[in-house]
Amino acid sequence: MSIINYASKEIQFKIVYYGPALCGKTTNLAYIHSRINPDNRGDLVSLATAADRTLFFDFLPLNAVVIKGFKTKFQLYTVPGQVIYNATRQLVLRSVDGIVFVADSQWEKMEENIESFKNLEENLAKQNIALDDMPYVLQYNKRDLPNVAPVNYLEFLLNNRKKRVQSFEVISSTGQNVFAALNAVSQLLLHKFSKDSDPARPATAPVAVPGARR
Amino acid sequence: MDSIPALTIEDVANIDGILQDYLQKSESDLAVIIDKGGNVISQYGDLEVMDVTIIAALAAGSFAATKELARRIGEIEFNALYHQGNGSHIFMNSVDDDTIMITVFGGQTTVGLVRFYSTSCASSLAAVLKGLREKSNPGFQFEVGDIATARMAEG
Repeated sequence: MSIINYASKEIQFKIVYYGPALCGKTTNLAYIHSRINPDNRGDLVSLATAADRTLFFDFLPLNAVVIKGFKTKFQLYTVPGQVIYNATRQLVLRSVDGIVFVADSQWEKMEENIESFKNLEENLAKQNIALDDMPYVLQYNKRDLPNVAPVNYLEFLLNNRKKRVQSFEVISSTGQNVFAALNAVSQLLLHKFSKDSDPARPATAPVAVPGARR
Repeated sequence: MDSIPALTIEDVANIDGILQDYLQKSESDLAVIIDKGGNVISQYGDLEVMDVTIIAALAAGSFAATKELARRIGEIEFNALYHQGNGSHIFMNSVDDDTIMITVFGGQTTVGLVRFYSTSCASSLAAVLKGLREKSNPGFQFEVGDIATARMAEG
């Protein structure tokens, strides 16, 4: 968990994009990076292999003034999706405040989606965190491809828990609903730390809005 | 409803005092205290030269990545790491189980001097952080109304 610094008036939150290999986690961050004013973000740092597969993590810091009087920094991370990199995923999940789970909507990826979701739950449990206590949203990505499963089926597979969460139909390559999902998880985690934490309360203004493409 | 652990202005002044003394003695440029999740706890020194947030994320990753190497030779983890550049260098050392100190320094000093003073600095910081964790800190919570309507400026 982050620490608030009263001297510099700063709060940091860590949001992790989680999901199976090649589901579009890095593409989410690349889109956000391309659409946020450079004054409000840092560089997108990618620790990737020569073939652009995430080896360690991608990292993008965003600045926003969303809490009265405090500079709020959102640190966006991705994890490597490939099964063998579980130790790295556990590391990136350390001190996490919110999660965007990115599922690949293609039929042939359903097993990988479920495996990754279970892996997320297990890795959080190793930090003594229950998934249901963690602010998270679901992205059903790649909705533009021809062989995608219907949303109802994805909901049945991934959002069929006691506590249902917000889910978004996303095309991360064009940016469709990328910001909607980011703002939803940001609001969830901000409300978790507010005195009147009523999840039914309507969300306030978005934390991040896309600007002109650069 | 959760609360966020809070560093008061006095806590930060206390940590800054330790870091200032350390930077002067070791003749280093910048010291950053981070948790092992990559969050910045405090920083002191020449902050203009680099993006401290990114350095913190990468340093936490670097520290964790070498843990496996350490295990191969029978260690739990390395308690210090040194990255040598041509003009600028980074030295990282463990403060306690959850905290790392990053020191950035140039040719005006040596890694030996930095390493020497970092040990006592880390001990002092560990004592301060232990005190912070033990005192009954109510943490920080905000009102829902405080989540401002401000949004990112459009690019």
